Amino acid sequence: MTETHLSRRSPRSHLRAVLAIARKDWLHFVRYPLNAVFRVVQPIMFLTPIYFLGRSFATPRGNTGFSAYAGTTDFMSFVLVGALLSNYVSAVFWGMGFSLKTEMDSGVLESNWLLPVPRPLFLIGQTMASLAITTLTGAGVLLLSWLLFGFRITGNLLPAVLVLVPMLVALYGFGFAFAGLVFLLRDANTLVDVSDYLVSLLSGSQFPVQVLPRYLLPVALAIPLTYGYDAVRGYLLGTRTLFPLDAELAILLVSMVLMVGLGYTIFRLVERHCRQLGTIGKH
Amino acid sequence: MMVRRTQSSGLARRSAASHLAALLAIARKEWIIFRRYPSWVMAFVIWPLLYPVGYIFSARALGGPHGSGLTVFNRLTGTSDYLSYIVVGSTMYMWLNFTLWDVGLHLRNEQMRGTLESNWLCPVWRISIMLGSSITKMLIGLFVLAVTFVEFRLVFGVSVVRGNPGLIALILLLVSASIYGIGLAFGSLVLRFQEANALVFLVRGLFMGFCGITYPLQILPSWMQGVAAVLPLTYAIHSIRAVTLSGASLAQIAPDLQWLAGFALVLPMLGYLAFAATERRARRTGSLGHY
Repeated sequence: MTETHLSRRSPRSHLRAVLAIARKDWLHFVRYPLNAVFRVVQPIMFLTPIYFLGRSFATPRGNTGFSAYAGTTDFMSFVLVGALLSNYVSAVFWGMGFSLKTEMDSGVLESNWLLPVPRPLFLIGQTMASLAITTLTGAGVLLLSWLLFGFRITGNLLPAVLVLVPMLVALYGFGFAFAGLVFLLRDANTLVDVSDYLVSLLSGSQFPVQVLPRYLLPVALAIPLTYGYDAVRGYLLGTRTLFPLDAELAILLVSMVLMVGLGYTIFRLVERHCRQLGTIGKH
Repeated sequence: MMVRRTQSSGLARRSAASHLAALLAIARKEWIIFRRYPSWVMAFVIWPLLYPVGYIFSARALGGPHGSGLTVFNRLTGTSDYLSYIVVGSTMYMWLNFTLWDVGLHLRNEQMRGTLESNWLCPVWRISIMLGSSITKMLIGLFVLAVTFVEFRLVFGVSVVRGNPGLIALILLLVSASIYGIGLAFGSLVLRFQEANALVFLVRGLFMGFCGITYPLQILPSWMQGVAAVLPLTYAIHSIRAVTLSGASLAQIAPDLQWLAGFALVLPMLGYLAFAATERRARRTGSLGHY
């Protein structure tokens, strides 16, 4: 009896559980090919009016007015980098945010939570799948955007990718907390929709945050994601950054630790709350 | 005696008044459902302000700190008031978007709730099921337009309604006939293919990319201008901008109005034909309850 597979809980068995959860999400993704296509096409639809907006301000020397804020005349590359990073933000708000709720709606949350697997691992497995899927669809968006709008990298790719690591860990750490919140609220579509849009907007996904009104600028500077967008663009496109790149990286590292801690704590609180009330199966 | 009593009962006496009563009952039902979900009401208040804000801040960035980038925009559009320019375009687009989701998905939602088949059997015009819902959605749409104008007045201090309000009302009247015609056709297609998301993304993507919601049409490649020329929203946005930003007169926007009047005649008819085809197919295949 003691030799059965599930009762031997070890780092290896946990890893296998994480991979199984990630694989399950991946299978869900590939089973709906039309949705996969729309995850690539939809950002292009949203980018089209912005592209032509940029064109309607462009001089023969590029967007010179824009360069006074951003340090580059290449408005579209600036926006494209923002759109790619916003893909991850949306994946966290919609995918991770609704991860527990979706499991509950499918009627599998209760049985999954009874498994001899630490519960945060469910979210870690979903995070891995979400990262892989978002990176894949992001590559599709980038390829299509390059063909349609043009995209030019003038800086270094490697440091930009390295900046992405603390940013994404912080983002998905926040996703743990948000999943708990959505789980408790249940009917949270408007909250998620507005939060996703506002966070991306105020972090400067489409424009340099310096153009925000004075009362909104402190809000933008308080969101760690702002420094992620700014630093990635600084490395990739050579844009003028808000602070020196080292300082922005330090902010991202600190926020990574804080967000993971916050996400884990809130998730545990929600889990305890549900266990006490027995509401996991109710929806 | 029994037969006579049945004939004189309310449902059997199909008249213009009974059809109107059914239409209003459906409109009232939709209104009650709408009011029961406060988060929907909140969305209608929040999004008209939030949606154009991204474009507005992008335009501010493109203009540069001293407005140096505005020269090109001014030359192309005849105005440097990019805020009103964008608000007009994005508000019209949002109106279309709401309508596509609401009117277009109405039959499908009834089907998912399991009430479509029983409603279909009622002794009323079947088109009432769609039109009744459209009355409510039109009122909500007008509410959204009013909210947008008030919010931009309060937050940005900009009055979007300028020029001749009668002309703006005429344009809105003509374009709403087109939008609801598209909604009717769209709803029938959704019911036929039993898939909503892909169709909504396709249709709204077409309008988002081609109608000039944030930019003047002359910067589009010629093939895109050709597509824009067959979309009613293009003319509505263009003429409302002309009235509000340049104070254009009836004579100046007459070509746009002619196009809009043409769309207002043709698109509701196409919508009705699509609905009639869906009705015939449903009767033949018995597929109303399938989903």
